[in-house]
Amino acid sequence: MLALIILAIIVALYFGYDYFRRASTPKVLKPKNSELMKVLLNLDEEPLDELFALYKQEFGTSAARYARETHRKWRSGEVRPNKQTFRRFFMYLPKVMSFDLKCEVLRELREEYLHKEQYELAVYTDNWKETLSPLVKEVIAKGESAQLPAAIQKKLIWLADDDAEVASAILVRSQRMEAEQNLEMLEKEFATIDQLLDNTNGKGKVTHLLKLPFGAITLHIKRR
Amino acid sequence: MEDNHDDLIPQKQSLFPVSAEDIVDNALQNLDEKQAKEVTKKAADELVRIAVEKRKAEYRSDRAQDEMRNLINNANLLDERVSDYKINSTFETATGTTSVEIKKSRFNTILLISAIAIFVLLALVLLLIRF
Repeated sequence: MLALIILAIIVALYFGYDYFRRASTPKVLKPKNSELMKVLLNLDEEPLDELFALYKQEFGTSAARYARETHRKWRSGEVRPNKQTFRRFFMYLPKVMSFDLKCEVLRELREEYLHKEQYELAVYTDNWKETLSPLVKEVIAKGESAQLPAAIQKKLIWLADDDAEVASAILVRSQRMEAEQNLEMLEKEFATIDQLLDNTNGKGKVTHLLKLPFGAITLHIKRR
Repeated sequence: MEDNHDDLIPQKQSLFPVSAEDIVDNALQNLDEKQAKEVTKKAADELVRIAVEKRKAEYRSDRAQDEMRNLINNANLLDERVSDYKINSTFETATGTTSVEIKKSRFNTILLISAIAIFVLLALVLLLIRF
């Protein structure tokens, strides 16, 4: 009886340890073909049209018609694309895509799979720049060095081609410019927030979610 | 002001050995003429896209400023007319989303005054007991 109880305790401890070990280990991203298809079909109307035109040119009218008719179902996850369709879209088409379209596909992939950090910071209207500056630098630096997950790079080997690398570099530069643009405009917004807090005589509470292409910072703003 | 602004926007730094520009320059050498032209065109298109985004953001900023002014006016009006109010507003601005809460509560003021009064009274009682 005692042996049975000890055995049960050992088994419970083993499974408990195994559960916590699994829970604490970060999950390795293994994107499914259907998930990648959803991302691809999230393209804006113009590049999506270009993609289907290319599909028609390479695989014929009937295959293109089927793809056109089914793309909403692929996007919603209602229907899963078969291996051949996935290969056509993700292995073959990138070889014949225009640089512009490749950039747009890459933009969608980066948007979906690059992790955007969330930060929180308390600032005063008279010291926000000094307080925010180090964090902004960190966010931009992290964003600039971010890479698509290894599983995706392994699956989509065309990402290692020269033109895909250039596309990625152009997108990173654009995002940096957008971030800088946002920060330039923040000055004016803080002046308005300062005015608002001043006029509400301590009764106002302001939070600003600063959205940067590489992440977001929640600012809890106070006035001295 | 200008100096502070320069602080906020990070200057190009050597944190990473290869910058985006280096990658473009290096890779351009390996691309053919047609591809190089496409890259140049895309880079120019991106500049236009960013300029358009900026214009849209400025528009959002102007609208948010007007809305915030209206909110201040409304809060001031309420301040004169009622003793308890709470306003929650959210504004889509150029750089993100601003959430504002303005709250005035007579109950809190009464509570604070009562707490101070009780404290003073207790202090007096303690003093009287001691002497």
